[in-house]
Amino acid sequence: MTSPAGSSRRTLLKRGLLGTGLLALGGGGFLASRSSKLEPPPPEPLKAVSPEQYAVLAALARRFIPDHPGFPSADSRHTALAADRVISWTDPSAQKETLQLLGLFENALAGFLFGGRTRPFTQLSPQEQDEVLDEWRTSRIAVRRTGWLALRAIVVSAYYGQKETWVVSGYPGPPAGIHQPDAPEWRGGDTPRPPGLGVWTEPAPQPAPEGSTP
Amino acid sequence: MSAGHIVTGDELKESAVLEADAVVVGSGSGGAWVAHELVRAGLKVVLLEEGGYHTRREFDLTEARAFPNLYQELGSRTTDDLSITLLQGRSVGGGTTVNWCASFRTPDRIFAHWQKHHGLEALSKESLAPHWDAIEKRLHIAEWPLELVNANNKVLWDGLGALGYERGLIRRNVNNCLNIGYCGMGCPVDAKQSMLVTVIPDAVERGLDVYANVSVRRIVWEGRTASGVEADILDPATNKPTGRTLGVKARVVIASGGAINTPALLLRSQLDGRGLVGRRTWLHPVVVTLAEFEHDINAFSGAPQSVYSHHFVDRGPGKIGFFLEVPPVHPMLAAIVYPGTGASSQALMQRLPKMQAMLAIAVDGLLPEETGATVKLRKDGYGRHSIDYAFTPAHWEAFRTACKEMAKIQFAAGAKRVMSLHLEPVVMESAKEIDKLDAAPWERLRVKVVTAHQMGGCPMGADAATAVVDQRLRYFGLDNLYVVDGSVLPTGLGVNPQETIFGIARWAGNQIAGVL
Repeated sequence: MTSPAGSSRRTLLKRGLLGTGLLALGGGGFLASRSSKLEPPPPEPLKAVSPEQYAVLAALARRFIPDHPGFPSADSRHTALAADRVISWTDPSAQKETLQLLGLFENALAGFLFGGRTRPFTQLSPQEQDEVLDEWRTSRIAVRRTGWLALRAIVVSAYYGQKETWVVSGYPGPPAGIHQPDAPEWRGGDTPRPPGLGVWTEPAPQPAPEGSTP
Repeated sequence: MSAGHIVTGDELKESAVLEADAVVVGSGSGGAWVAHELVRAGLKVVLLEEGGYHTRREFDLTEARAFPNLYQELGSRTTDDLSITLLQGRSVGGGTTVNWCASFRTPDRIFAHWQKHHGLEALSKESLAPHWDAIEKRLHIAEWPLELVNANNKVLWDGLGALGYERGLIRRNVNNCLNIGYCGMGCPVDAKQSMLVTVIPDAVERGLDVYANVSVRRIVWEGRTASGVEADILDPATNKPTGRTLGVKARVVIASGGAINTPALLLRSQLDGRGLVGRRTWLHPVVVTLAEFEHDINAFSGAPQSVYSHHFVDRGPGKIGFFLEVPPVHPMLAAIVYPGTGASSQALMQRLPKMQAMLAIAVDGLLPEETGATVKLRKDGYGRHSIDYAFTPAHWEAFRTACKEMAKIQFAAGAKRVMSLHLEPVVMESAKEIDKLDAAPWERLRVKVVTAHQMGGCPMGADAATAVVDQRLRYFGLDNLYVVDGSVLPTGLGVNPQETIFGIARWAGNQIAGVL
């Protein structure tokens, strides 16, 4: 950490690559042309990310939600596809930054500058990928910790937002019979305000379907 | 007067221009009450809301549905560097549709601070009292009974009691509450007395017109007069502009988009309050400790917030105070907030029902050296703005002290383990290990900071040199533009802000009706 080369590399990162400068590395060029390890095409078309960025999301998902007894796998929940959907809903400015960040994560030049690796993230072994993630998470450079938090939030929300993953925690899900998808939606005008609006009343008991047992 | 209508973006098939006495931008705790009062005074009012009109028909109690529909930026609004995550509402009813129902009047010491440091005289405990009386009656605001307090809150109650710390039961705006714990995803039974099911429909019955999925892009003004607003009509399905526009011409314009969005609207309109708009934004920044218990806490179940402590709100000169409450713990938000690696967060998720969470909410804006957050426009942002929070050493001291006190409380209530939300979580196995927190890094992006309270950015005050709006909430420089929402608060409050904003908005609505 005290070698001249090490300190000059840190200075470069501090002076030249912080903020948007750093994210711009994700845009392409340089060693970025080293090819990504692509994923099989998702079951539905991508809305926000490229196949390369999708591959990064899929790799990240497998590391943020590694195979673990009782957990549906990140792949089986199509986490990367769900993350693509999340990204597509975000503000244009956020979308642009996220795509750049995915590019930066994959970019071999950035990987070289940060950790001396010359292969893209998707080409690394799971163990190496974990090391990269840990370097970002614990980095002395705040913007790398920012990047880690951003990617993690997208991937983790894409996975744990699915009710199929509730089983992992024993979260029972919301109590049944409360949500009323056919509740009236009042729009004003000549329609009188429904009595339930603002004051909930117990729904009338439904007659049991024929053949059911009490 | 005949009833008004609630209209959504998909119904607005063509661009249009409307006329009204008043246009209110934003339907949350400020906008709903001010619109209600103006309608009550017999005025024709149009209320515009950029979020959707979502009702209990859609409130299916899942995070996956709630965050995209009911929160700013899908629940992922943050400061630029992601050091603070902001939970802020976005739908008809604003934050009141998704908040956790805590209702407090503004503390006396905050009024005293505003009078002394911001020259506020018109606004006082006395001038707001009749408004709060009416509001509390309409919204059924009442103390939550101890026997209904859930296990998550009970840990705070018991720990505070064991240590002899001040504690209280929170007053909540609920009517026939089922105590299920899903306030943050929209109340599925309309028991929460949010603006969505109370004040807004009350006003619509009296003639208020509400337009949802309408994002105001600009206040139109010339000289000293605002003439209305220009808005984009959004597609409810995609939340993106349709290309159709809605204009409203009005005798008075009222900005009620909340701290963050109101300053952004003013900045888009070239109304920068002589450089003050967007500055001095207060976030009540929050740090969290997680405690693991032997027994199930099920912090996803039961009224989310029912116990508080103001024991540490006033810690003496030069220090930032904090107050204590608890948050509900649902899986998606828990997974996002807990900053561990893949395997460690899986281990935590497997223990979710046994986890208890506690919040220390820092009362920012009271120290002379604080500047809070600064909100600016982004070049290519539509609904996302630049937010940068200036932490001071006093914040980090408060966060460290708060986490130590929370750990003490959690252990006093029987926790077997307590952990911080550092990127390298500090794990304590007993109260003897609390000092481990002193060695942890207390700096941005090393420990998770969140907020659910946004205030300031258009502060009210007696002096145009330091305030954006005057004591009657009128913008300095225009005769008929008002700001009525949390952005007018000159400092943090030291309590959950909704009832302060309700009171100020009802008071302001009566003032504005008087001059129209």
